[in-house]
Amino acid sequence: MMRSVKPPVLPIRAIAHTVIEVADMDRALAFYGERLGLRVPLESWPDGDELCLTCPSGQRLVLRQSDSPRTLPDSGVHQAYRAGPAAIGRIVQSLAADSIAVERYREDRPAEQDDNCYFSDPDGNRIQLIAQPQIAEPGLFGIDHTAVQASDMEWIEDFYGAKLGLSVEHRVGWNTADYVRARAWGEGKEDMAPGTRRWDERYRDIPGGKPGQGRRVPRPNVQVFYRMGDAVLGIFMALRHEQEPPPHQAKGTPRVAYWTDAAALDRTAEILADARIAALGPVRHGAKSPISSSLYFRDPCGNFVELCAEASS
Amino acid sequence: MAVVESLSHSGICVHDLKQAEDFYCGILGATVHSRVNFKTQDALKGRSVHTSLMLSDYLFAIMLSEDWMSIPPMELLRGENRVRHAFCVPRKRFGEIVDSLSENKVAFEGPVTHPVSGPFGESVYFRDPTGNFLEVVWRRDEATAYSEVQALGHGGAG
Repeated sequence: MMRSVKPPVLPIRAIAHTVIEVADMDRALAFYGERLGLRVPLESWPDGDELCLTCPSGQRLVLRQSDSPRTLPDSGVHQAYRAGPAAIGRIVQSLAADSIAVERYREDRPAEQDDNCYFSDPDGNRIQLIAQPQIAEPGLFGIDHTAVQASDMEWIEDFYGAKLGLSVEHRVGWNTADYVRARAWGEGKEDMAPGTRRWDERYRDIPGGKPGQGRRVPRPNVQVFYRMGDAVLGIFMALRHEQEPPPHQAKGTPRVAYWTDAAALDRTAEILADARIAALGPVRHGAKSPISSSLYFRDPCGNFVELCAEASS
Repeated sequence: MAVVESLSHSGICVHDLKQAEDFYCGILGATVHSRVNFKTQDALKGRSVHTSLMLSDYLFAIMLSEDWMSIPPMELLRGENRVRHAFCVPRKRFGEIVDSLSENKVAFEGPVTHPVSGPFGESVYFRDPTGNFLEVVWRRDEATAYSEVQALGHGGAG
């Protein structure tokens, strides 16, 4: 007797590209191109202010210059790439040679429990490498998933689930097992990735209370993971309030873009209009662009999203 | 000495908040009033993790237990020496609850018919996914605006 009516599923196939902010384009180009093996900039990229690097998978990493890159290095925000074990070994060796810290945190999502490797680019964008034995390329192969943060997980579930029709693959922070496990982190027994755990000061703000009255307890941080075709989006609850872009701004960075079809762009534009959520597009790109058209919008917590249609769809 | 007047709300501790929400909303027809600790602001205040649910005008919270609780054997459908929440339904809708339990494969005991001399008509007894004891009952005095609690010894079966 479930009463909710599921919306049509948004037919997302994969991550098309991610746009990250960097302070120094040349430095970032050298890091992602020479060190991590992504291919040279794509000249036909529709936005002239951005540099587009291509993965062997066909997915793209887009660099946009910002004097103050929004990287949120202490949060759960990151980009995860697939690579072969040999490539990961070479990358880790290269990073170590330049004294760039490489971490091997644990995660909550079952698919990421083990065999992870984390580091940051020169601007603080956190990178996760996921080993896939079948990959033979010498550098990064493709984008596995991205993770963003949000100040209201109820709004997030309403937006991505109830409005866009995405399916939850995994939730963290909803059951006792997660809380029991968090105690191991609190006791120093598990080294968990940033954004997955937090210390709460229980009932810190009781009216009339005294400073420091709260009992500190280790807790799992709330997370939700959506799977869409070959793409995964992880959303971590923000552990502090960050300035969000204004609600009327539909296009911005950092941004995650997904491949879908032209009909889905039109249908999503209608859904967003009905919900009075600002959107831009569908915007048609030039004939040389690898993307036929894009729909730009932001989720209720300020994360920018782009849906892309290929020329043939 | 203060005298309490009525039950304001109650809390039910659970091991899985999502599963409990689906159970109370999907099977008993509750609606979500609010969730706590799914916003940055709640985490900063160190609040408990719970969802407030409404069943008609009755407010109760399903509270996520941060440690494992001792749960009586699941084959025990009607608890003894443990809290049991009993929810009322009108007699004409009692069958819907029984059907809902059956359709959703929730094991239950009953319907149990109570003595005609008492205020209760029939009850079904079952448990939520965590194992909390629950009961749904229809009352013989449902048409009466107010009924005083009857003297003990009415012989109710529940």
